[in-house]
Amino acid sequence: MKNPLAIAAAAALLAAPAHAADKLHLYNWNNYIAPETVKRFEALCKCEVVQTYYSDNEELLAKLAAGAKGYDVLVPTANVVQPLIKGGQLKPLDKAQLPNLKNVDPAYMNTPFDPGNQYSAPYAMSTTILGYNDEKMKELGLPTDTWAVIFDPKYLEKVKGRVTVLDSSSELFAAALKYLGYSANDTDPKHWDEAAALIKKAKPYWAAFNASSYIKELTVGNIWLVHGYSNDIFQANLDAQAAGRKFHILQGVPKEGAVLAVDNMVIHKAAPRPDLALKFINFMLDGKNSAELTNLIGSGNPNLDAQQYIKPELLKYPAIFPPKALQAKLEQLQDLTPAQRRLRNKLWTEIKASK
Amino acid sequence: MRRRSPWLCACALAAYAFLYIPLVIVVVYSFNDSRLNAEWVGFTLDWYRKLFQNDEMLTAAGNSLLIGLTASVVSTVLGTMAGMAMYRYKLRLLPLLVLTPIAIPEILMGVSLLIFFVMLNITLGLVSVALAHIAFCIGFVAIVVRARLAGMDESLVEAARDCGASPWQTFRYVTLPLIMPGVIAGALMAFTLSIDDFVITFFTAGAGTVTLPLQIYSMIKIAVTPEVNAVSTLLMLLTLLLIVVASRLSPNLLRSDQETAP
Amino acid sequence: MPARASGRLNKWLVSGPPLVYLLVFFAIPTLIMAFASFRTPGEFGGLAPLYDESGKLDLNVESYTRFFSETVYAQVFVKSVGYALVTTLACLLLAYPLAALIAKSPKKYRDLLLLLVILPFWSNFLIRIYAWMIILGPNAALARGVNGALAWFGAQPVPLLFSSFAVLVCLVYVHLPFMVLPLYANLEKHDQALLDAAQDLGANAWQRFWRITFPLSLPGVYAGAALVFIPALGIFAIPDILGGPNDTLIGNLIKQQFLETRDWPFGSVLSIVLTAAALALAGLAAWIGRRQTGGGGAARA
Repeated sequence: MKNPLAIAAAAALLAAPAHAADKLHLYNWNNYIAPETVKRFEALCKCEVVQTYYSDNEELLAKLAAGAKGYDVLVPTANVVQPLIKGGQLKPLDKAQLPNLKNVDPAYMNTPFDPGNQYSAPYAMSTTILGYNDEKMKELGLPTDTWAVIFDPKYLEKVKGRVTVLDSSSELFAAALKYLGYSANDTDPKHWDEAAALIKKAKPYWAAFNASSYIKELTVGNIWLVHGYSNDIFQANLDAQAAGRKFHILQGVPKEGAVLAVDNMVIHKAAPRPDLALKFINFMLDGKNSAELTNLIGSGNPNLDAQQYIKPELLKYPAIFPPKALQAKLEQLQDLTPAQRRLRNKLWTEIKASK
Repeated sequence: MRRRSPWLCACALAAYAFLYIPLVIVVVYSFNDSRLNAEWVGFTLDWYRKLFQNDEMLTAAGNSLLIGLTASVVSTVLGTMAGMAMYRYKLRLLPLLVLTPIAIPEILMGVSLLIFFVMLNITLGLVSVALAHIAFCIGFVAIVVRARLAGMDESLVEAARDCGASPWQTFRYVTLPLIMPGVIAGALMAFTLSIDDFVITFFTAGAGTVTLPLQIYSMIKIAVTPEVNAVSTLLMLLTLLLIVVASRLSPNLLRSDQETAP
Repeated sequence: MPARASGRLNKWLVSGPPLVYLLVFFAIPTLIMAFASFRTPGEFGGLAPLYDESGKLDLNVESYTRFFSETVYAQVFVKSVGYALVTTLACLLLAYPLAALIAKSPKKYRDLLLLLVILPFWSNFLIRIYAWMIILGPNAALARGVNGALAWFGAQPVPLLFSSFAVLVCLVYVHLPFMVLPLYANLEKHDQALLDAAQDLGANAWQRFWRITFPLSLPGVYAGAALVFIPALGIFAIPDILGGPNDTLIGNLIKQQFLETRDWPFGSVLSIVLTAAALALAGLAAWIGRRQTGGGGAARA
């Protein structure tokens, strides 16, 4: 008479591997996929989606550069896809399994960093723009459609101590370069010096370099003007209305242009389940699924098929769905060479250490 | 009869107030009817409700507790040994190895441990995180235990030896009770460090391994909702409960005033 | 077994396990990265291969020369030392009465009081900092009170949040238990009989504290100072979240090297300098401490 416990244990052991293998490891930003979408995919593929999060592209890069494995799908921004491709960290996409790729707006396909979209499929996008408290800006009579309002002391005087800028050298330099009339990807050291000087002059008026808590402070009314991401600013307005504030948090798209950040789905070269990864990517390229994220957080959407499912009021925001005229002024950031990164870091450190 | 200086009491109370005012805000805001941790809007129990439906957060909290308990137990044992060794013997390598993890920037330690684990083909997961935590907690325990030992009355130890006690017996019945406050202090520190660590955990965690700090820091750019306040409040209460229960079950373990009969 | 051999065996039994653990899980990984300070950063991040195309060993001291030639890094470093020193002193001032009170309390309350000190730190770091942002916010009671008083004197309002003050307050807050616990562990064993004897001989409260209690507590003070000063040197999260535009510390710089700039060798150099300086300062303090307690002839029971 065999031990029933042993039989049960054996059965459990046999059953476990089959179940454990059907997992898709998604390494993504937090709150960057709607829960309903995940559930629908899990039902469709009869697998489990295990999500791990990062809050910064660079964290992702550092972890992968040190050799971490076990992730299937990653969602890096374009300027990070570049080093990932060049560093041989990604698996090429099997286009035959991605019929939905045709849904993506051709304007966002075939980029310089991934010609022919061999490795990446566009997921969602955001712009780095101005966010402001409409009441305060009207009161002070400040413009909201130019970078001058965060760089020019004659405007900054009126909002001294109530402005924050992103704590990112690439974003801030891009804004400064655009304001000075150069391309955001300009690598001329002389132009960089000009940008650094501009930033140093404006720094005494800023409250902080902040990439994490500025949205909170904007919503509460402690901060009146920020250099930030369109998704966050959109969300801040929702929070402000929910808290019963009398003011609105609006997005200000500078006329000099801004940075466009397109996040892409890629497959890690050591992905345990590339088949599930491809299924997932194709699933997310379907308009209905893609639209769910936009409706949730107000992110931009490069998927044409998704437009019909997106809430109509969102389509009117130029920061989320830039019209053709604005698209020409938006630039995607490119990666820098090590020597350029070092120079940038030296300038950035000097800026931070300056009085 | 001990006369306690009122001045001392006042200063200590001020220090407790300094420690607790932010905590009161944390707990109160867990009932805040606003997504942001920024100002009071209204009362709600929603966040606790959401928390209990949030499998990810609960798993993360569970993992943090598990790793914290493991790391603090192992690092307390190893750290006590290290502290005693550093006090008793003239060592050169151990003090350096014990002190450096405290000094070294977390990000360097995190990246180097990740590279090391990858080199050895160790699968990243809860175990790799625990191993990393133990490495940086040992130092804290060792330093506290050594400080406790400094100026300890050696005559008690000598007396025990003279009575024929073996080194283990001397340790168990004489030394250990004398250094127990230091050991407890070290264990508390190690646990605190472990459940709140982010940087090293980020690099040494595997795909799908989440601890509470990892979960919470990933929310930093969107909104650290009151759900985090709720889980923190509950975690604090749970840990407090565990300790109270443990000290009730083994009251002699934590006593520092044992009159040890040799 | 002869006494000396058993003594040596005991020494290895006690020091062995922690030694081995730290060698494997700390020393070796760290040496790998310390070695990286002599390598070149990889084109796309991480490190360049050890042997370049021609098969030659690719080692250089470029990163070190950069650190020593560009003074801005040393500037930030000095500022971080300043912040860490202030934090340590403030922690000491706050922690001493607290630890003393707990140590003098009746035994059945001691563990509870100690637990109460550390309990707040089992909540998450981030929301504790957010709580401070609420306390120090421009519309909160504290800021309004301070600025109201300043206005009364005709001075300009100061921001409490996004400033060095906010950074220091949070630094002290976060490190306080690490000063309280070692101090308590030391103060707890002070013999009240010594103090009573001194009182009988006519010493007042201040004299009893300064001539007896404080010198006896020095090992605890140094332990606490080490456990506060050294970690405080490398902190980066607090300036990131509520620091002002001028509050960049060496911890922030090191983080930038590993993440934004992807210059691991330089990050390694900064880390080595930081660690070496921290250890040197700790060693210096310990040496001074040994000389003082040796010369002062502290009373031994």
